[in-house]
Amino acid sequence: MTDFMVKKGVKNLHREGEKLITTHCSYCGMQCGMHIRVNEKTGKIAGVEPRYDWPVTNGKLCPKGVTAYQQIDHKERIKRPLIKKNGKFVESSWEEALSLIEEKFTETQAKHGKDALSVFGGVSMTNEKCYLVGKYARVALGTRFIDYNGRFCMSSAAGGFIKTFGVDRGSTLPWPELEHSDCFLIAGSNTAECHPTSIQWFWKARDKGAKMIVIDPRETPTARIADVHIDLKPGTDSALANGLLHLIIKEGYVDEKYVAERCNNYKELQESVETFTPEYTAEITGVAVEKIIKAARMYGASKRSVVMFARGVEQQSKGVDNVTLYTSLALLRGQIGKFASGVATFTGQGNGQGGREHGQKADLLPGYRKLTDPEAVKYISNVWGIDPKDMPKPGVSAFEMFDEVQKGNIRAMHVICSNPAVSAPHTEYVWDSFKKLDFMVVNDFFLSETAEFADVVLPATTWAEDEGTTTNLEGRVIHIRKVTEPRHESKPDWMILSEIAKRMGKGKHFQYETPKQIFEELRIATKGGKADYHGITYDRIDREDGVFWPCPEEDHPGTPTMFKERFATPDGKANLPVVAWKEPGETPTKKYPHILTTGRVVYHYLSGTQTRRIDFLMEQCPLPYVEMHPEMASQYNMQEGETIQLTTARSSMKTEVKLTKAIRKDTLFIPYHWGKELAVNQLTNPCLDPISRMPEFKVCAVKIEKIYEQEGIK
Amino acid sequence: MNKIMYLEFERCIGCRACQAACRECGDHDAKERNFVEYVDFMESRQTYPMLCMQCKDPACARVCPANAIQITDDGVVLSAMEEKCIGCRNCTFGCPFGIPKFDFEENKMYKCDMCYDRSQHDIAPMCASVCPSEAIRFIDFDEMQALRRQRSQMNLVEGKKPTEQDKWQYVPEFFGVYTSDE
Repeated sequence: MTDFMVKKGVKNLHREGEKLITTHCSYCGMQCGMHIRVNEKTGKIAGVEPRYDWPVTNGKLCPKGVTAYQQIDHKERIKRPLIKKNGKFVESSWEEALSLIEEKFTETQAKHGKDALSVFGGVSMTNEKCYLVGKYARVALGTRFIDYNGRFCMSSAAGGFIKTFGVDRGSTLPWPELEHSDCFLIAGSNTAECHPTSIQWFWKARDKGAKMIVIDPRETPTARIADVHIDLKPGTDSALANGLLHLIIKEGYVDEKYVAERCNNYKELQESVETFTPEYTAEITGVAVEKIIKAARMYGASKRSVVMFARGVEQQSKGVDNVTLYTSLALLRGQIGKFASGVATFTGQGNGQGGREHGQKADLLPGYRKLTDPEAVKYISNVWGIDPKDMPKPGVSAFEMFDEVQKGNIRAMHVICSNPAVSAPHTEYVWDSFKKLDFMVVNDFFLSETAEFADVVLPATTWAEDEGTTTNLEGRVIHIRKVTEPRHESKPDWMILSEIAKRMGKGKHFQYETPKQIFEELRIATKGGKADYHGITYDRIDREDGVFWPCPEEDHPGTPTMFKERFATPDGKANLPVVAWKEPGETPTKKYPHILTTGRVVYHYLSGTQTRRIDFLMEQCPLPYVEMHPEMASQYNMQEGETIQLTTARSSMKTEVKLTKAIRKDTLFIPYHWGKELAVNQLTNPCLDPISRMPEFKVCAVKIEKIYEQEGIK
Repeated sequence: MNKIMYLEFERCIGCRACQAACRECGDHDAKERNFVEYVDFMESRQTYPMLCMQCKDPACARVCPANAIQITDDGVVLSAMEEKCIGCRNCTFGCPFGIPKFDFEENKMYKCDMCYDRSQHDIAPMCASVCPSEAIRFIDFDEMQALRRQRSQMNLVEGKKPTEQDKWQYVPEFFGVYTSDE
């Protein structure tokens, strides 16, 4: 097996003295293919070369992908373990740091019980690491308090898909098929900025006449190219989807045969959307009636359509409901399980799909097994070599872990691959919780805002210094190659976790020398589960351009298209939802008269720990800003570039105004990639979805004020 | 080299991957030679990329009093030769597309050379390689002709016939954010 893979006839530029190593990007769920250029003599990273023959992205990269390699030799890398002494970080040896962790963890558990420790995971890392985080929490630490940042990302999509289909795979179809679709209904996704390399498929389809309906309060670069842009009020997705379903049913676009054979609950759905006439829907959503009708007819008349959504509809207190409703649009049209049609969510994090399948979630075990299912507990205990009685019970969701800290139940936390000090809602509460912890450990390769709260920071490797697999937004398991040796004294997370496990007396369960050994264990752990990786091997991934799960056996071709014959529910039928209209957690009041929504910009990734350190990206977008319609601005006499104050029931922040007509007049938008006083999550509402426990990042009530700080005026 | 750079402004999503990638080209000293601009941020997110047209009779070379700007046999207009460039910046004013830039520290002009280290081997320049929306493409001349024909074909399908002069009007029917209270 060589490190450089290229198909016959594809030309790359090979510079003298350099080798190319084939891998994927470190950032979002697109997991764009790339080659990384390495100097053969010095081992230094020289740059990036497009991977023209990766079938999902064809060599395309966004500016984050182009500059991703700059993380590896970045001057701000954490070089050695850091221990906080008298409020300041001091470099230490691994021995000293690990001993301190061992001492504190043991002491905390002796004093306050096993569950006094907690683990906060993340999914911007390989399947091998994600799997091991779950095992580490449950076997090495024996705590029930484990959850991960996917709660702020994919959990509503997961909840909605499980409810509807019985299994959660982000996309029911492989993405190169998108080119052949006739219509896209994209809700709450600015895919042009958040998953830029996906846009090529939409453009290819549009070249052939495909239609595009985009549902978003802002006229994003994605909405700009839509045939119909439904500029709804944030938080009204369930009403809009009900309204679209109403028209699809009333105007006879339903595939009656498909629905009768493959769906439950159709009658109830019919009744529940009865009241959602275009007029009533328009009243709630603030969208013009003719746009709703036009969208419904455009979507209804299309032969092959794909419904897609992202955090815009998911990061709401009704996230799961929204997902089930939008998904029903595809079901009523009989689109799921067929060529170039179906439903998909845009996975935000690099391994958002794989990372949520392998037991980092408070209530899940590897392979999407449920912790409440005694059979599953028995099977996994057997794989892990523990007594089923010792398997901890389900814990609580990510944000609720901070409630447990406040209550004094959680006394120590190990944060791995995550930066909740920026990415959690109501950050001041989170910061206060970190301060209340007796002991906190963070693994990271840059000193993130979360790491600053830690007592011990362990230097982890970047994605390029370790091997493994990730699962991209299609459900395709792909191979991340080790490009170079770990920098400085950093170690891959799996090695760090194994060493702590050893010190906690559980070393025999963590005997790994390579990530491949972890993957082999993961294959067995997922065998027979819903997300079955048993038939996937590193060799197959390389040979077959990735393998789609479920793939139970090595001679199984994998599953690019889901639900061809039946759904994964007990009776094999999809469950249609019944959702009544409910307001979001906060609506505008006299005191807080406007709506605030948040999102990404193309130059930054998640909490910005990585991208805020890359020169090119910071030159393009150094600071957050608030997008405002000029009509709202003139009511407050605010001008372009002026710094204003925004206040919600949680807190307030100052930021610069950017005027644009490409946003609703009643809505403000702030990107969320910055920390501390620049974090918009100081303002956001931690109102949780009842099923997915997803916080409502996308809607809160806000007031804006001018700041009078000119010379001579007080 | 029978390849051309093909720009389709409407496809641009404003991600500036082309700029980031331009810095990655081996001969580019980590300085980008192309740019992406908003048409009018107040009105819309429409952006457009711009790079060197590799003119047959380039204004930049014409106005260069020192004859420092050379054109390769296959028609690529190169950055000013260091030993000849006198730093007068005529080229930056002469170019109608705003492509040549001036490095005040090094006192020399630099411009898009279509990633000559790549394109001379028929490998796509960095910007065209990475452009996620295919607003920038490195394609055969014949392919470009076919694309032009296809555009008018699509317009026939839609029942519209734009010309070069008014093609900007052929944007989606609902353009801009408006709500039901209007």
